[in-house]
Amino acid sequence: MTTCVSQPSVLKVSNGAFTCIFMMYLLFAFGSAALADDDLVSGENLIRNASFENIKNDQPVDWKTSTWSGQPKFEIETEFGHTGKSCVKISSSEGADASWSYKLSVKPNEEYELSAWIKTDKLDGGGLGSQLNFHELQMEGKTDPIRGTKDWTRVTSRFHSGPRSELLLNCLYGGWGHSTGTVWFDDVSVVMVRPEPVKLTMSKDEAGVFFEDKVLPVLQKNCFECHGGEKTKAELVLTNRDDMVAGGESGAAIKLDDLAESLLLSAINYDAFEMPPSGMLSKTEIADITTWVHHGAIWKGAQIKPAPVVESHSVPQVNTETKKWWSFNKPKPVPSPQTKSAWVSNEIDEFILTRLQANELSPNPRASKQTLIRRAYYDLTGLPPTPAEVNQFLGDHASDAYEVMIDRLLDSKHYGEKWGRHWLDLVRYAESNSYERDSTKPFVWRYRDYVIKSHNEDKPFDQFVIEQLAGDELERMTPDSLIATGYYRLGIWDDEPVDKNQAWYDDMDDVLATTSQAFLGITVNCARCHDHKIDPIPQADYYKMLSFFRNVQRYGVRGHDTVLRQSTRPIESQSKQDQFNSETKAHRDAIQANRNSMAEVEKLVKTNFIPVEHEEFRHENNRVRLVKQRVGVTIGEQVFTTADAEKYEQLFEEMKRLRQQPPKEMERALCVTENGSDAPKTHVMIRGNANSPGDEVQPGFPSVLSPPDAEITVPSNKKTTGRRLALAKWIASPDNPLTARVFVNRIWQHHFGRGIVRSSNDFGFQGIKPSHPELLDWLANEFVSGGWKMKKFHKMLMMSSTYQMSSAPNEASTKVDPTNNLFWRFDMRRLTAEEIRDSILAVNGTLNRNKMFGPSIFPTIEKEILHGQSQPGSNWGRSSPEDITRRSVYIHIKRSLPVPMMQSFDVADTDSSCPVRFNTVQPTQALGMINSVFVNEQAAIFAEIVKKHAPENLNEQIEFALKQVLQRNPTSAEIQRGAQFVETQSQLKTEKVDPLKLFCVIALNLNEFMYLD
Amino acid sequence: MKPKNFCGRTRREFMWQAGGGFAGTALAGLMGNQFFASQAVAADDETAWENPLAAKASHFAPKAKSIIFLFMYGGPSHIDTFDYKPKMTGMDNKMVDVKTFGRGGHKNQGRIVEPRWKFKQHGECGKWVSSLFPNVAKHVDDIAFIHSMTADSPIHGSAMLQMNSGEILSGSPCLGSWVNYGLGTENQNLPGFVVMLDKRGGPISGPKNWSAGYMPASFQATQLRSKGTPILNLSPNQIEKLTQRKMIDVIQQYNQDHYINRGDNTNLAARIASYELAYKMQASAPEAVDLNQESEETKKLYGLEHPQAGYFGKQCLLARRMVERGVRFVQIYSGGNHNDANWDAHGDLKQNHDLHAMETDQPIAALLEDLKRRGLFEETLVVWGGEFGRQPTAEYAKGTGRDHNAYGFTMWMAGGGIKGGISVGKTDELGSRAVEDRFHVRRIHATILNQMGIDCDRLSYFFGGLDRKLVGVEGSTPIPQLIS
Repeated sequence: MTTCVSQPSVLKVSNGAFTCIFMMYLLFAFGSAALADDDLVSGENLIRNASFENIKNDQPVDWKTSTWSGQPKFEIETEFGHTGKSCVKISSSEGADASWSYKLSVKPNEEYELSAWIKTDKLDGGGLGSQLNFHELQMEGKTDPIRGTKDWTRVTSRFHSGPRSELLLNCLYGGWGHSTGTVWFDDVSVVMVRPEPVKLTMSKDEAGVFFEDKVLPVLQKNCFECHGGEKTKAELVLTNRDDMVAGGESGAAIKLDDLAESLLLSAINYDAFEMPPSGMLSKTEIADITTWVHHGAIWKGAQIKPAPVVESHSVPQVNTETKKWWSFNKPKPVPSPQTKSAWVSNEIDEFILTRLQANELSPNPRASKQTLIRRAYYDLTGLPPTPAEVNQFLGDHASDAYEVMIDRLLDSKHYGEKWGRHWLDLVRYAESNSYERDSTKPFVWRYRDYVIKSHNEDKPFDQFVIEQLAGDELERMTPDSLIATGYYRLGIWDDEPVDKNQAWYDDMDDVLATTSQAFLGITVNCARCHDHKIDPIPQADYYKMLSFFRNVQRYGVRGHDTVLRQSTRPIESQSKQDQFNSETKAHRDAIQANRNSMAEVEKLVKTNFIPVEHEEFRHENNRVRLVKQRVGVTIGEQVFTTADAEKYEQLFEEMKRLRQQPPKEMERALCVTENGSDAPKTHVMIRGNANSPGDEVQPGFPSVLSPPDAEITVPSNKKTTGRRLALAKWIASPDNPLTARVFVNRIWQHHFGRGIVRSSNDFGFQGIKPSHPELLDWLANEFVSGGWKMKKFHKMLMMSSTYQMSSAPNEASTKVDPTNNLFWRFDMRRLTAEEIRDSILAVNGTLNRNKMFGPSIFPTIEKEILHGQSQPGSNWGRSSPEDITRRSVYIHIKRSLPVPMMQSFDVADTDSSCPVRFNTVQPTQALGMINSVFVNEQAAIFAEIVKKHAPENLNEQIEFALKQVLQRNPTSAEIQRGAQFVETQSQLKTEKVDPLKLFCVIALNLNEFMYLD
Repeated sequence: MKPKNFCGRTRREFMWQAGGGFAGTALAGLMGNQFFASQAVAADDETAWENPLAAKASHFAPKAKSIIFLFMYGGPSHIDTFDYKPKMTGMDNKMVDVKTFGRGGHKNQGRIVEPRWKFKQHGECGKWVSSLFPNVAKHVDDIAFIHSMTADSPIHGSAMLQMNSGEILSGSPCLGSWVNYGLGTENQNLPGFVVMLDKRGGPISGPKNWSAGYMPASFQATQLRSKGTPILNLSPNQIEKLTQRKMIDVIQQYNQDHYINRGDNTNLAARIASYELAYKMQASAPEAVDLNQESEETKKLYGLEHPQAGYFGKQCLLARRMVERGVRFVQIYSGGNHNDANWDAHGDLKQNHDLHAMETDQPIAALLEDLKRRGLFEETLVVWGGEFGRQPTAEYAKGTGRDHNAYGFTMWMAGGGIKGGISVGKTDELGSRAVEDRFHVRRIHATILNQMGIDCDRLSYFFGGLDRKLVGVEGSTPIPQLIS
């Protein structure tokens, strides 16, 4: 359908009925060749002074000008208009980006049509040309740009107001670039779009016949299979009128009080839903159903009632029975059993031993000191002990030697680097956003540092929880507590979502899933689209919990500056912030003053330019030259002097200097932000669809936990709702049945290789029940009564005889308990990816242990892998030799570009909470450990150290290398084996690689290096 | 109180998934009917370690053994290639009312860009194909075209993720990961899931497009290069083969000693075994990519000497060699990087599509022919398509560039038990959206799994409290018209 209508006046929308008839005519005339828009555009034009006829003080009333860049000329054309006597005009000879703007009031959530008439003259240059757009809308509402020379042309577009009630309309000249030439605008119109009313022409009887003839066959063919036949999808039955009116999950299919708004109609028009999904009905079929509905959906003939559906397994309800589930109730005070055994070191052992004895098992003997020091070092710091530390410990025969070592390790700064990493797994810590640009999150590393420091400071866990969820809502907010709320910003972020509304819910679903799993060990996220299928968590509870986050701003809108605006705040003192602001202003003023002085000169010399020089002048590099060429030339009435040119050059250089020396940026934190203290309403979203709001809900905790009401106090600064603090306080409360249990279970898991509850993110019905429920409760109570402190808790676990057992096999015990469910021995474990890399660097002496914190480091990634990026190497930096040997916890985590070695050894996937890492064995690991550039480079360094240690003696070299790697004295057979390999290799003429380096590669590949007993 | 065995997992399998202390020796099954029974972890000291990628039984007899997915990254224009729109003839530059949604947002009207290539009928089925694909056109009787594809996103980032993983949100495993998770690979000396990239770079989001998401890294794709060492870390640096064998022998001697007193730890045994497997891979992979074993005629067929088509030709030939050797899933990207380095024709449609079609037409035709004459066609499913199609109208006031279109686009399949010479579904007369027999991306995924002998509704993986499926929680069904 042609819409570049050159006939004026007809479409000047002022009369709804007229337009309606006109549109129908178009429809009729052009049939269905193209997709016509059947909506009715009617009603009042919302623009006052739409034709620019009302001029006061040389300004069109209600309109103002906006200059985005360049120097445009705004005028009122009084000679002509598309209609009437006048219109508005923008022109520029040098290029500009500007608009006539109008503040438009609209109703939220309505669709509008925008139109205007545009005339252009030689409109050219780098911008899009001329178009209408809305400042607040990214894509919607833009009209197609017009360029060149064109007589009055009508442009139109549609937009949806979304949540907004005000929009800035721009009649735009330029547009993301500079245009030159002239444009005129006239007759701007914004009109609400309403569906076309249908005329009622049939009697009731006629409508019944019409139904049988035209409608029922269509319904039978296209709808009944899923809605009332074999299936009842979305709980909607369409095989009889009553059920149509009763509706399904999304509400009534036929709305008797507002037939035109019936869901059935929007679904067949592919608005709310796309039904039938296999393809749109024909235009006639849609028209027939529409007519039928408008006549009251008269049903004649047989109505089919489906047999009631019997649920194969019912969804658990919240009731007294389900509320009894073990983890939904506070841990009970449990006295520890009394076995009176000499094996017992503390209460933990009492619980363990009682169960072992009941199963006729006995605990494994104590591990050797050699084993214990390695186990303790890795568990608390993620690093191997040095041979000297091993010697010292082995030589220390004091009865408290072990305890002294544990204390020392708990005080080590490396403790936070190891245990902080466990927490980072849970909160799916990553430093980029995924998706096309996968851009880097600003200042995200401060959150990582916050986690490490909090661990090293032994911050009580309840405080740690509160700071992350609501550190900004605390009465005494600190830079650290603000940084902690970076928690909300760690997830994936689609900067170009298909549906922005849905995208906000997706983001918050990610936060809710992580919060409920990481802090509470329940999967509330499974109740987003329907009641939880396994746990007693109704869908409403999901949205009650979501409501705590309802006011959180999205991570960003699109560009990096929007991220800075919506997700970062300065963390410096107010005086520093003020200072920065005044420095910034001074800097901006200086630039402007300089620019003005330059412009004076430029204006003058340009009058002397030949056309091509204007073109050249656009490039900064040419400017001084072009100005200097004017020396001696008479411009206007004066001769342009060398001094004039030199002055310009000085200004030019000064400008460069100013631009290069902006005031030092302020330190900022990646953090959560809200839109003030009033949150929008929260609704249950039907089937999880962000555009189908159901019942309204208020903030509340999962009902099956019999929680208190949420106590919400708006903070005094009114910047936020206070809702998150209410959530945080409930989660961190000693009365919360889950929090302490879930967390002590995690500490246990990382010491013993598995949790007392193995499914450590799921304490619900489908989680695995605790192997030692009483012990878990006892530990949770200890933890809370000990002030939620981690360090003494670690010590308690590590001082137990249970922790100090050997991992050796025992045939009899294996027979009774093959999976060590009862802890009759300590489980061996492989080093984590970070531990493997850090250990390689530690044994060859290059690990940079001292430098902690700050922006992340970039280990070298093979260019073959970088080639997989759409822009190879993009956002992957280079680190200095000093940085590249820092600990793995400081490696930059880019979602779309995992470091191959780390990934191959099962680092946590970062797109969702990772409670337990995989522990895979695969040939690619072996290939990486023998062939990768990294391992070979490190082995070469290792070999040099080995040689330095024992320059002459091969046996001593092998002994030293093995000792570094295994942290024990190797046997003579082991030394012999290595020496023999090196000797044989040395005799080979063809092999050029240093045999000792090859032995170092071998040493780094040993199972004993990679596994802990 | 607890629903009985909700998703058919055995307790032992469940414990593996939950990451128990013995996690990771082998991947236990997560599907019903003992699908993975042979893989269940044994802590009984008897069951040997198995490669996570060891071949597994399918749900039902498969039609295809392998998949070659020719991914036309950027989104080829369906109406300029395989979706013939005769009524657009003569409509160039006409303004029409048509709803579109691309990177430029929602629009209600636009200026028609008439297809720039001539269409002709081909084969016994009389399929209309444009002059962009003269060689592929010779095979239309073996191809099933799906003209009514729809996807949820017209934006590259999320649309790529959906075509590869079923979800527009980042974090889920890719089709190739699912296939390997379900079936393993027949040749353990080669990776089960291989991806080959365009010479101009990877697609946007890079490795996310072949990641295993929430599954273990064992299921992600291995990048296979057609130049230099085919696989990262595959070649011993400067070391002679014999030396490396000796090194592995020494490693194994130390590891055997260590193992003696820890004999019930299957992880240690697994690690010992994995070095032997790695060693075998080093020998197998170079052989698999050695094109010197191919005849001159074959090389010519794939256009290896062709200045434009040579690169993709080599990749297609490598793909055939891979499936011949039992690799389950091969994905080749036509197009990489940004802008016109792929099918994303926002500027000059003609120039863009001429280039990318030229690069791929002969190689794709050669692949189909070569598979046929070697008897591999019936057991190899070839899939062609991009993350979406393109709009019938121009994106800008000037020029022929088309914006993205997820409302309707074309994909095709051939071999692997797919009916040839048919076309299913329709877009409207402008190709602006699918109107008849619309098929969501999930239906393509369901069809691919079906041809591999997998029921898409039964292939699930328990994660984050849910039984995840490639085709989403609601399930899907294969496209019945395609299946012979």
